[in-house]
Amino acid sequence: MLRNDELRWGAVAKFFHWTIALLILGNGVFGLLLDLASSPMQKINWMALHKSIGLTVLALFVLRLLWRLGNRPPREWPAPRWQQWAARAVHGVLYLLVAALPLSGWWFNSVRGYPLQYFKLFNLPGIAAKNPELRRLAHEVHEYLFWFLLLVLVAHVGAALKHHVVDDDDVLRRMWPFARLRHGSKGDSA
Amino acid sequence: MTRLALGRLAPLLLCLALPVAASATDYRVLQDQSTLGFAATFQGAPFQGSFAQWHAAIRFDPAHLADARFDVSVDTTSADTGDADRDGALPGADFFNATKYPQAHYVTSDFTRLDDARVIAHGTLTLRDETHPLDLTVTFTPQPGGTALMDVAGTLKRLDYGVGGGEYADTSVIGNDVTVNAHLVLAPK
Repeated sequence: MLRNDELRWGAVAKFFHWTIALLILGNGVFGLLLDLASSPMQKINWMALHKSIGLTVLALFVLRLLWRLGNRPPREWPAPRWQQWAARAVHGVLYLLVAALPLSGWWFNSVRGYPLQYFKLFNLPGIAAKNPELRRLAHEVHEYLFWFLLLVLVAHVGAALKHHVVDDDDVLRRMWPFARLRHGSKGDSA
Repeated sequence: MTRLALGRLAPLLLCLALPVAASATDYRVLQDQSTLGFAATFQGAPFQGSFAQWHAAIRFDPAHLADARFDVSVDTTSADTGDADRDGALPGADFFNATKYPQAHYVTSDFTRLDDARVIAHGTLTLRDETHPLDLTVTFTPQPGGTALMDVAGTLKRLDYGVGGGEYADTSVIGNDVTVNAHLVLAPK
C-alpha cells in the first residue's frame, strides 16, 4: 500500500505527487500576486510565506527523489513508443522544474541579499553572493520557470485526461488518491 | 579678621582648585577614523548600520569619572545599512521620522566603574519624541602620544522609542533589541 507495485503508485508516491502539485501551483499563483499586498509589511510577510512554501517543495522533492530511488515505479503503460518517450520527457522536465523553481527563488533571494527564514523557525544561508546586477535576471528566470511549468503541465494533465476520458484506462486512476483500478484483472494476469 | 578673609577666599580657592582636582580630558573625535552604528535583526538575520553624520563631545578620564561627560548628536537621515530599500525606509515616518525629528541625542548623567578595563556610562537617549535611560559599556584605551581609542556598546529596545511602530512593531520580523556601537579615535583638544 505504501510502496508502489507493478500496477499502481503507492500511498507515499501519491502523497508526494499531489502535495507537491498543490503547493507548487498554489505558491506560483501566490508569487504572481505578491504585488497586491496592501502595505510593505504585508508584502514582507507574504514573501516570507512564499519562500517557506517554496523551501517545503524543495525538501519534499528531495524526499520524493530518495523514495523513488528505493521504490520502482509501476510498469509503463502499454502505448506507442513515441508516447512512452514523450511521457518520459515530460516527467523528466517536470522533475527538473519542481527543483528549479525553488532553487531559482533561492538564487534570486541570495543575489538580492534578503534573509531566508523558514516559517520563522530558522535561517538558511544564501546560495550566491549578493549582486544587484543579477537581481532582475534572477527574478525573470524564477517567474518564467513558472510559466514554463504551466506549459509543460498542459501536456501532462492533457495526456492524463486523454487516457482517462478517451482511452478509459487506469493511467490516471493509478495515481489518483484512494481510487480503484477499473481494469484490475488486466494487470493481475500480466 | 584672618578667619573672615579665609571664609571669603574659600569659594575662590575652591574654584581654582576644581579644574586641577577633577580634570577629565576634553577630546575631539577624529571623524574619518571613527564609526557610530547599530546592529539589529530582520527575519532572523542580523544586519549592521552606520550613521554618516554625527557629532560627539567627549570628556573622559577613567581616573576622574565624576567629571566625565558624553554629549552625542546623530543625524537620523544619515543611516546606511547597505540595502537601498531599508535605507529608504529608515528616515520615514514609520521609523526615525527624520523630517520631524532630525536628531537623536545621547547625554550622560554619571559613570560607574565595571572592572579594570571598562566603565558604564549612564545616560539618556532621545530618539523621535521618546527619552529613555540607556547604559553604555565603555572601553577606553590610551594610546601613545595622548590619543585614545574608545569602544562603546549598549542595547536598546527600538519599540521604547517608537522606531518601527504600527505594522512594523511585529518583533518576530524586526527584532526589538538593537545594539548601538561606536568606535572612536580621540585626540586631546
